[in-house]
Amino acid sequence: MFDLVTWPRNPWSIFDELESLQDDMNRLFTGQEVGGRGQRGAAWRRRRPSYPLMNVWSAEDGIVIDAELPGVDPKDVDISVLGDQLTLRGKVNPVQVAEGETYHRRERPAGEFARTLQLPFRAAADAVKANYKNGVLRLTVPRSEEEKPKRIQIEA
Amino acid sequence: MTEKQVQKQDTVQQTAAPRRETVYVPDVDISENSECIRLVADMPGVEQGSVDVSVENNLLTFEGTATFEAPEGYELVGQEYGVGKYRRDFTLSDEVDTDGIKARIRHGVLEVTLPKREQVKTKKIEIEA
Repeated sequence: MFDLVTWPRNPWSIFDELESLQDDMNRLFTGQEVGGRGQRGAAWRRRRPSYPLMNVWSAEDGIVIDAELPGVDPKDVDISVLGDQLTLRGKVNPVQVAEGETYHRRERPAGEFARTLQLPFRAAADAVKANYKNGVLRLTVPRSEEEKPKRIQIEA
Repeated sequence: MTEKQVQKQDTVQQTAAPRRETVYVPDVDISENSECIRLVADMPGVEQGSVDVSVENNLLTFEGTATFEAPEGYELVGQEYGVGKYRRDFTLSDEVDTDGIKARIRHGVLEVTLPKREQVKTKKIEIEA
């Protein structure tokens, strides 16, 4: 299920991807779906559009992004905010084949990833909070001060 | 991950109506060396208390329930993944010593170590002079 709320100002989807910089992550999956819309099913899995998968919540003063990143070392993840773009970059499950070890199955994503989200507002870069729990990275991104909606009084 | 619709009999209510449950199939990596077989599964959102690993008749089943708290005061604007139950099972060969299976979950990744039985481990045979 994919519930999308169109932003009041302009038709914007939180998952508007900027041209990046995807990576060996996508070479693991044959074909790449354009647009980043998620659809469940076996075919979707083979054409996974982006990594990591994200759920986004929004409120007046900012947004919260939950990204599924199991097993990743917080040191290997780079979160950067520039204006109204948020970029998540990093490395996941580096392949380490020890001596005498063979792999029978490799399904988990491995390699480098980079994903950029276009935010509907400029973010207050120094107030972004990141929290990693049970493999889910939660980013709290507040709007920058200038962008906060201001109440306008109607003069009598 | 793929989604699978699983039917469960609801024994609490007296009706025989089966209840549908969405179950996610976690991605796994399986590797093997001379000592053991290692199975690593991605189950983001699952923590120590809500994962269950069991073996019955050489069938290894592991399942976990992911939890999350929606941030208060926020509205869901885009969703790419669902949160729910993960389950997957594997048939083990007789090589595995089912008594010595160990499992550990950390950062949403479940790691199950399946030791091989003694007789199966490769033994070096000395050549007598």
